[in-house]
Amino acid sequence: MSKGDRKLIPLGKRRICIYPGCSLTASSRDFADSLFQMARMAGMWVEELKDWNCCGASPAHSVNPEYATLLSGRNLILAQKQGIEDLYVVCPSCYIRLKESMHKLDKDAGLRDKLFEAYGTEYTGEVNVRFFLESLEPGDEEIFKGKMNQSLAGLNAVIYYGCLMSRPERVTGFELKVYESSIIKFVENTGAKVIDWGASSRCCGAHLAVSRPDLSDRLVDRILDYAKRAKANCIITFCPLCQVNLEMRGKAKDRLPVFFIPELAGFATGEVKALKWARRHLVNPLPLLRNHRIL
Amino acid sequence: MQTKSTEPIRMDAGFMKDVAERSGQMFNSCFHCRSCSGGCPMGEEMDYLPNDIIRMVQLGLKQEVLESASIWLCVGCLACVSECPNGIHIPDMMDTLRQIALEEKATIKEPEVVAFHQAFLDQVKRYGRLYELGFMTRYRMKSLPVLRDLPNYMKFFFSGRLNFLPEKIHKRVDMKRLNEVCNVER
Ligand code: SF4
Ligand code: SF4
Repeated sequence: MSKGDRKLIPLGKRRICIYPGCSLTASSRDFADSLFQMARMAGMWVEELKDWNCCGASPAHSVNPEYATLLSGRNLILAQKQGIEDLYVVCPSCYIRLKESMHKLDKDAGLRDKLFEAYGTEYTGEVNVRFFLESLEPGDEEIFKGKMNQSLAGLNAVIYYGCLMSRPERVTGFELKVYESSIIKFVENTGAKVIDWGASSRCCGAHLAVSRPDLSDRLVDRILDYAKRAKANCIITFCPLCQVNLEMRGKAKDRLPVFFIPELAGFATGEVKALKWARRHLVNPLPLLRNHRIL
Repeated sequence: MQTKSTEPIRMDAGFMKDVAERSGQMFNSCFHCRSCSGGCPMGEEMDYLPNDIIRMVQLGLKQEVLESASIWLCVGCLACVSECPNGIHIPDMMDTLRQIALEEKATIKEPEVVAFHQAFLDQVKRYGRLYELGFMTRYRMKSLPVLRDLPNYMKFFFSGRLNFLPEKIHKRVDMKRLNEVCNVER
C-alpha cells in the first residue's frame, strides 16, 4: 500500500483510511483481518495510514500528557499530509487518545508550536478522527444480510462494549446509542441470539491486567459471572484489549470464548480464514462452534 | 518537597492551584456529590475514592495524594467524566498528579504500574510502535510472579499472534526529535 499515492480505486468503492493501532498488527491481527474483510464486503476500499505510530495508549498520558499529545499528534500530521479528511480508528482506546490529542492541539497554540518543532509540519486541524463504526450508517447491517449463508444459531451472545465505547458523545465524540440497535440486528441476522445483560459497559481492568492482574481478575470474573447468569455461551466485543483480558484474566474455571464482532460475519459468510481465527483464541471456541455445526 | 512525618499534617497551599493549572480543571466547582466515585470500577481497590482525591487536593494534602495508590489505579475509563455534574475531568487530574509524583520523586505506592508504563514507553520511544514480545519479556523479566501467564504467551506466540521482530515506523528520527522536544530521555 506504499506506492502510488493516489492510485485509482475500483469503481463504486469508497476509500477509507484506517488507523489500525499496535494491537491490530500483532495480538489482535485476526480482528484486523476479519474487520477489513467485512469492510470490503460493504464496498469499502481500506487503506492504512502510512507510517502511523503508536498512540501511546495509557502509559504515555499516564506519565507525560504532553508527550502523549505530541505522539498521537504525529498521526494527525501524517493524515494531513496524506490528504485524509476522516481517519477511522479501530481500537476504542486509540480512538480516545487520538481524539484527545486533536482537541488539545486545537485548543493550545503552545502544543501546536511544539508539534511543529518535532515534525516540521504546521498542524491545520483539517483531519477528523472518527471511530470505525462511523464508516457505516445505522441500517447498513442489511448489506451483510444477503451474504450470510451459514446460520450461527446456537450462539447465545452477550455484547460487551467495554468502558470507552459506551460513554456519552459529549465525552468521547462517538455516540453508541445511534448504532446500538444496528449492532444487535447485525448479530441477530447471523442467526445468533443476543441476550440483554447488565455488564455491557463494565471495565475489564484495561492495562492493569498486565501490571496488577489480581485486580483485573476480580473485574473479569464479575463480568463472566454476569454473562453466565444471563445464560450466554459467548461474548462479543469491539476492543482488542477487552478481548484479551476477558479470555486471559479471571479465575473462573468454565470460560466463555470472546469474539470480535467482525469474526461473526466471517463465520456467517463461510470465510475460509474463519477456522484460523477460531484456532487462535485463548479460550478454544471450536467445541462450541462444532456443536452447533458452525465451523 | 516534604520530609516524611506522621504529624502534624502538612498542607501545601499552592497545590490545588498548581494541579488545576496543569490539568485545566476547576476543583472549586466540585461539591462532593460522589457521583464519580460511585461509578468508578477501581473504587474498591483504591485507598482514596476519586472524590476523596479531589478533596485532598483542595485541602493541599500533597504528600498523601502523591503517595496514594489511587492515582496509579485510575485506568481512565471515563465513567466519572460521564457522571460528573460539573464537568470535572478526573482522569486528566490523575495524569497531572502522576506526573508530579514522578517529577518530585514521591514514594510510589504502585511500582508495578509505573514499571509497566515505562517498559511500554521504552518500546515506543525506540520503534515508534509497541513491540509486544519485547515489551512482555522485558517487563515480565522484572516481575516474575506472573508465571501463570507463560502458557498464554506461548500460545500467542506459536499461533502467530505475536510478532517475532519489532514493528517499526520508517521515520524513526521523528521519535528522536519528539523525545528532544519533550525532554524525555530514551
Ligand atoms: S461527580 Fe464531580 S462534583 Fe461530584 S464529587 Fe465527583 S468530581 Fe465532585
Ligand atoms: S477514569 Fe479513573 S477515576 Fe474515573 S471512574 Fe475511571 S478509573 Fe475511576
